[in-house]
Amino acid sequence: MHTTYPTHQHRGLFLLVASFIVLATGAVAVTIGSVAIPFETLWRIIAAKIPGMTIAPTWAPSWETIVFDIRLPRIALAALVGSALATSGATYQGLLRNPLADPYLIGVSAGAALGATTAIVFSFGAISLFAFIGAIGATTLIYALARAGGRTTPTTLILAGVALGAFLSAITWFLMFKGDSAFRTQQIIAWMMGSFSLGSWQDVAVMIPYLGIGWLVLYLNARTLNVLQLGDVQAQQLGVPVERVTMILVASASLITAAAVATSGIIGFVGLIVPHAVRLVWGPDHRFLLPMSALIGAMFLILADTLARTLLSPSELPVGIITAFCGAPFFLYLLRRNRETLI
Amino acid sequence: MSPRRISVALIALTIIVLGLTACASPPTAAPTTAPAVFITVTDDAGRQVTLKGLPTRIVSLAPSNTEVLYALGLGDRVVGVTEYCDYPPEAKQKPKIGGFANIDLEKVIGLDPDLVLATNIHAGAVVSELQKRGVTVVVVEPKNVDDVLAKIAFVGKLTGKSDNATRLTAQLKNRIDAVTAKVTAAKTKPRVFYEIDKSLYTVGPGSFIDDMITKAGGLNIAADAKGAYTQLSPEAIIAKDPQVILLGDINFGESPESVKARPGWANISAVRNGRVIPIADENVVSRPGPRIVEGLELIARALYPELFQ
Repeated sequence: MHTTYPTHQHRGLFLLVASFIVLATGAVAVTIGSVAIPFETLWRIIAAKIPGMTIAPTWAPSWETIVFDIRLPRIALAALVGSALATSGATYQGLLRNPLADPYLIGVSAGAALGATTAIVFSFGAISLFAFIGAIGATTLIYALARAGGRTTPTTLILAGVALGAFLSAITWFLMFKGDSAFRTQQIIAWMMGSFSLGSWQDVAVMIPYLGIGWLVLYLNARTLNVLQLGDVQAQQLGVPVERVTMILVASASLITAAAVATSGIIGFVGLIVPHAVRLVWGPDHRFLLPMSALIGAMFLILADTLARTLLSPSELPVGIITAFCGAPFFLYLLRRNRETLI
Repeated sequence: MSPRRISVALIALTIIVLGLTACASPPTAAPTTAPAVFITVTDDAGRQVTLKGLPTRIVSLAPSNTEVLYALGLGDRVVGVTEYCDYPPEAKQKPKIGGFANIDLEKVIGLDPDLVLATNIHAGAVVSELQKRGVTVVVVEPKNVDDVLAKIAFVGKLTGKSDNATRLTAQLKNRIDAVTAKVTAAKTKPRVFYEIDKSLYTVGPGSFIDDMITKAGGLNIAADAKGAYTQLSPEAIIAKDPQVILLGDINFGESPESVKARPGWANISAVRNGRVIPIADENVVSRPGPRIVEGLELIARALYPELFQ
């Protein structure tokens, strides 16, 4: 069975439609929450904020707080983190030419977990900051370890990532044990499972610069990622400075992943599955794959977060559990449908 | 327009829009008139908190705080509790705002509280996120049995129920003194092992239960441990030979019989003399609320059955 992938003209349309669907998903998510706010009131609350509109408040001030300071930042954060993870996953899958690559392969999750655990066990407080530093530090270390003769290959990167990741995990577990506190252990595990429950506009604001820079750099290298699929040697012969591009791609993808992980913990499956789903439907051209993964990732995580905060209300499920439950079966379905095209 | 241009434009647009929303995010509306200050206190997380009036809608983030509120006669002012707030039974009817550390911010804010009583578990992320959205939060974390009484008085002060608090703490103090007076006269203090769970986690110095064991005239075999909660090895327990074993894990399948069946445990004094005591309601020894005195009396009875009929 030969699939035809969308032509250039249609791609723009797909992206536009996807963008609208993301916004629509966000709009639907805003109406859902553990406090029942009637539909019309909700839209009036939002409309009242548009400059120029004068709508007399007929609602409790706490509802405004809920909509603008709880639901909207959560949704925005979920969208940003989802798109960051999906883009990063797509990049790693392309760079390492490995379908099992995810954003955490080159040390981000192990480093972030160590950073966060350190902050929690020693009560330093700034968990996000430590997680971020840990993630970037681990990735840098892994990259340096994988470098041999001025070059890094996908194999060495993955091996170094697995090895150092295991080592960092060991330190993390040891710290958890030394922390000697059931409460601290629970805090660490809760952080690792990933959650948007305490998301605020501050987190959103912190993420935007990292995401912006990372995305831009990654997107500008999309064509190069396409060429890299031919293999390092061929790409080099076609004029791609493979080593430099590898470094740039690893740095940017790790940056956006580290920002995502620092704000919301380690949310799995988004970075692995979303790029595959997009690739199976629309093809492996990274110029389309990267932005579309970002959009689908955003949509997916908004939905997952909405489920996470409503399924067991008032308790919150960690969003990582939802992504695992939903993501894996969906991917299996796509896999069955398109087995031939994968080869 | 090539897809590349479109995508770059979309990304730029997204960043701009998100940037604008982030900048334009409305901070919680500041009150336009200066509110009358009812009281300013320093809570157990070292925070200075100002209450703008008598709290009438109180949310409790911990079962111990719920019990204190009800004991002070504030049951009708409680508007939100956790899923684990089961005492007094009326508390179970109140709207639930979450579990132990897992608090549903939206639910709390939707209840429009003017006072939220938190504990150290929430100090940090939860407290700061609530504070950011304009909620008044006070952290209450008693360190030992006597501190529980101090905190009851504290909550009484916060809520205008100081009279009730004084009465209650006086009653509780009498009961505590009754216990400590009887046990100080005891010539030999029994060695005690408090079992939190089957993996032999126990209470060390600085923990509540350790304080209660000491007050009840017992010698905690984990008194030289390095933390409030620590795990002992079976050899260490057998070597220390406790004379009384308190089982805090009977709800997880443990019992005096299961303890006796453990390899090497049959020769421990407590097992030999049948002094493995299950603690039926673990909450009375672990919740730092008014019922802690019941827990103290329970432990005293277990340690000195001849003194406390």
